[in-house]
Amino acid sequence: MRADLPMPTGQDGDGDYIRVSGLRVSYDGTTLALADLDLVASKGDFVAVLGPSGCGKSTLLHAMSGVLQPQAGQIEIGGHAVRGSMGPDAPPIGYVFQDHRLLPWRTVAQNISIVLQAARVPRDEIDGRIDRYLKLLQIDRFRDAWPMRLSGGQRQRVSIARALALQPAVVLMDEPFSTLDEVTARLMRQQLAELWRECGQTIVFVTHSIREALFLANRVYVLTKGPARVLEVVDVPIERPRRYEDPRLTELEGQVVDRVMSVWGFGDPGDGSAAGERG
Amino acid sequence: MSRPERAIAGVTKAARDRWLDVVLGCAGLASLVLVWWIGSRTTTFVPSIAEVVSSIPGFVREEEIWPDVLATVRRVFGALAIAMVTGFGAAYVMSRGGLWGQVVDRYVSLMLGIPSTIAALLALFIFKRSEVGVYFVVAIITFPFVALTLLQGLRAADRRLDEMSDVYRFRTLAHVRHVAGPHLVPYTFAALRNEYAHAWKVVVLAELFAVNTGMGARFARAFDRFLLVDAMLWLLVFMVILLGTEYLLLLPIERRVLRWRGTRQVVG
Repeated sequence: MRADLPMPTGQDGDGDYIRVSGLRVSYDGTTLALADLDLVASKGDFVAVLGPSGCGKSTLLHAMSGVLQPQAGQIEIGGHAVRGSMGPDAPPIGYVFQDHRLLPWRTVAQNISIVLQAARVPRDEIDGRIDRYLKLLQIDRFRDAWPMRLSGGQRQRVSIARALALQPAVVLMDEPFSTLDEVTARLMRQQLAELWRECGQTIVFVTHSIREALFLANRVYVLTKGPARVLEVVDVPIERPRRYEDPRLTELEGQVVDRVMSVWGFGDPGDGSAAGERG
Repeated sequence: MSRPERAIAGVTKAARDRWLDVVLGCAGLASLVLVWWIGSRTTTFVPSIAEVVSSIPGFVREEEIWPDVLATVRRVFGALAIAMVTGFGAAYVMSRGGLWGQVVDRYVSLMLGIPSTIAALLALFIFKRSEVGVYFVVAIITFPFVALTLLQGLRAADRRLDEMSDVYRFRTLAHVRHVAGPHLVPYTFAALRNEYAHAWKVVVLAELFAVNTGMGARFARAFDRFLLVDAMLWLLVFMVILLGTEYLLLLPIERRVLRWRGTRQVVG
């Protein structure tokens, strides 16, 4: 469970920075979660992975983060293979979970600091990074607060600050706004889009919301029901900054809904072939 | 109701609840004094409150009582430390399951059923009248309870936080320090507070059987000689130390360590 080489921090913008090919993951050797899944992303890209609940989206991120060993297939990030848990010397990957996963017994600043220490960020840099990213997420006034004192949206912003403070080459986000109320979720999406434009990290964003995927990403990988395969790749040719209410998004959303209805519906699981499955 | 009004209402309710706690606490204490007073008036073996209170200054000035008090305190803390360490070890093995987990589980279940008196008599047979016997009795009686409480903690570990620490590549030491350790703290305090009171009760019993020193032995001696005021004074010392340590040491430390809890979520 480790990466064979450290990932370079400065990668060319061209080509595939993340390359997932023929990824196959099964639980207990019988239940197939991912079936020969392919995905590519260039450096600084914002890619969304869209699929119905339980199709294996989170499993894909687990495999990409290195904590889950796939049965077959390759994952390469920055030209280096991810082969399970990366080990302490590997360059960090930021991860934002569906729930915040903050340590309740540590303050906001400590939660970020612990992760930076684990990634061996030099001690004299840690405070500066914490201040910078808390400010960027507009939660600097909660620096010394306990997570239990924060609202759901604030906790999730801390979780995003924690991931970004690592200054990782790749940030994996697993439905980070799905537990928030709609208004907070919209504000957070807006903020994430702005942050991405500012920080320029490569983001792989998993969601089951078509609108959310189209609003945030440059490219959307639409998956079949589990075991997940890529059904279609949708490019989003809408300039930024985008508006969540943009009629072009509505039109695109309608097309995707039409496309996935028969596949995500109540048909056979993983029935991608009938709808012209890709990959 | 506006936000400031809600805040004021919250503070007022909290203050009212605190006052109610104080009043109820005082009422409980007053009822105990009343029972003592009635006991002293209606029986021949309960000394009067005035008699006991007037004996306190002379009692605390007696130099020979303090070595006995210290001996008991040392035994309680020593045996409790053994019980905590052994209990944690047993809980860890049980949480891992397998053959050893099953074996330790049976031992813990068996020891849960041993009455303190039987343990004290066993210690007397095994260790004769030695210091080791007292430690043995207190540790053997309290450690299964410690083990069960800590086992609950280990079983309730938050797997999502473990996963987070995996993703962010925490080393083992960092995982223990920031994830597993703090998660077990509330369970450790629960075990410590419960078994601290339990250990005091058991140590006095063990001292009756196994040794000639300590508060239990002094209490028994006073009772044998029908020195009822002395017996009552020893009982008061016992309660003062037990409650004093609980409220002045354990509770403040627990509040400090667990201050991240008990904070209400804010809206915003």
